Amino acid sequence: MSQSATSLASRQPATLAEVAAAHPDVPRLIILKTDVQRRGVFYSDRALSVLDPKIHSITGTHIFGTRDGKIAPRPESLLLRDGTSIIITPTALEEDPYVVDLVDGQPFLFDGGQPLEAVDYWPAPAYYSKMSRSGVLMKNIVSARPQRLVVNPSRTCTFWNNGNGCGFCDIVPQTKKGTKELNIPVTLDPVEVAEVVAEALREPARFSALFLTAGSNVGGAAPFDDEVETYVRVLREIGKLFRTKKFPSQLMATAFTEAQLQRIHDETGVMSYTADIEVLDEALFSHHCPGKAEWVGYEEWKRRLVRAVDVFGPGRVNTGIVAGIELAPPYGFATEDEALSRILDEAEDLARQGVSTVYIVWSPRPGSVLGKQRNPASLDYYIRLAKGLHALRVEYRLPIMFDDYRHCGNHPDTDLSRLLNFD
Amino acid sequence: MFPQLTPELLEVLAHPATHKVIATIDEDGSPHAVPSPFLHARPDGLLVHYELLETSATNRNLLRGLWFDRKFAVTLVGALGQTFVIKAVPAKAEISGPAFGRAFESVRSVLGDADLAAVWLLRPQAVIDETYTTRKRDEEDRHPFSIHLDRLLVPRDQAISDRTQP
Repeated sequence: MSQSATSLASRQPATLAEVAAAHPDVPRLIILKTDVQRRGVFYSDRALSVLDPKIHSITGTHIFGTRDGKIAPRPESLLLRDGTSIIITPTALEEDPYVVDLVDGQPFLFDGGQPLEAVDYWPAPAYYSKMSRSGVLMKNIVSARPQRLVVNPSRTCTFWNNGNGCGFCDIVPQTKKGTKELNIPVTLDPVEVAEVVAEALREPARFSALFLTAGSNVGGAAPFDDEVETYVRVLREIGKLFRTKKFPSQLMATAFTEAQLQRIHDETGVMSYTADIEVLDEALFSHHCPGKAEWVGYEEWKRRLVRAVDVFGPGRVNTGIVAGIELAPPYGFATEDEALSRILDEAEDLARQGVSTVYIVWSPRPGSVLGKQRNPASLDYYIRLAKGLHALRVEYRLPIMFDDYRHCGNHPDTDLSRLLNFD
Repeated sequence: MFPQLTPELLEVLAHPATHKVIATIDEDGSPHAVPSPFLHARPDGLLVHYELLETSATNRNLLRGLWFDRKFAVTLVGALGQTFVIKAVPAKAEISGPAFGRAFESVRSVLGDADLAAVWLLRPQAVIDETYTTRKRDEEDRHPFSIHLDRLLVPRDQAISDRTQP
């Protein structure tokens, strides 16, 4: 083979069409979704002109900030025609995002001026416009995805107290903004949360999952006891609404000890547990997640995940990674192949012990330590990662329904798992 | 453009006594046909299938069809034997919003404590009239060689009568 032919053959697929051609076993819609998450979106004035807060979910309640650093009324996120969500962050035009514009009044994703795919703005639930007992808009207490209620009992993280917040995270700056600009409470009253959830559930078939997450809190007799207490109090109040002891739900939290996990399991109705390790490499974990490294450590984080399977059961525990930060200079892997190999090896080590790994696409946010970087990961890398994580679920028979397109919507790899059949 | 659904077909589709079956293809290529009791048409000509079970083979197969451009078939059998086969492709899966909520309530008004996984919008690609009387007539007109000879015999009584005529 000639040198030019060699370089042509080995050239990594770059465009959406090239990546789709290279991965015919992956739905084009999922590839598109992944690329939209990777590059972000910009809404045209026309696209924003059809945004109606009575009908659509508007940005503003998210625990993390946007890529363009603004809090402004824009669609919370998008739905594709396969029911998959694209959870995106508005992005400045200079960063070459996809554009949302209209075709015959219908929002469409555009790239290079060409319409690619129709999208729907997330529908607004009926309770969003109502006020809570303390005079706060209910949407600022419990937010919604197309099928999920989201409760953030505490919008702060004590890892930031000594400067050890995760490098990709902007929870504290975002909380300050949200508190000031949107009157979002930093901590929630469990009784008020349950009242809002009850109001939300008056709408037929609107929600099939309840999701809790907050920043880490090292306080308490044992580290993180205070964080556990917060979740238990909120979940107990919410649990009073249901006639079953357990209800479809997910707790995303710090990696807790067996005793803490057992308490959560025994005293609440929560059915699944997620503790995000963020990056599957010990050195990078220590670098990007210094608070988690200080208070738990990489190997202990993994061990606690595995122990959580004993408490919550197989197919009910997973961990999330912020895919892309493992490539961020100067400490990241030199090549995507090297990163994939390392991540999938580590993910397999967890999978064979009953723990799934899911990823989100890293979106550098201005309020984070890594906010000035650009995500170096290619679309092809993300698709290969999605296929690799999905393949591990197939090999180790790990269902992921609690964190799928309906219950979360932010993981391209679990979108692929919609076709899993473990019958 | 996709084929128009005729008034006759729409009448059969809307009739409560009509049997409605949706047939999809499993990953291994084997067919999978199940009733679709809530199947109906929208004014824009799209068919609507309520999928009640998230992990059903039909739900997975429709998703696979939407992702990878695979067709499936809907069969309608009316009380008088009117039969239509509609070849279609999945156009959209709705999982949230006011229309989804209304569908959920509609299902529960019939089945009681039931759930709803998705409202599938299905785009017809072809409509085939498989009503037996229609197909029989067509078959005999266009394919006369398929007719068994004994069906063409002069009726026995008439033949005997003819032979005994002086």
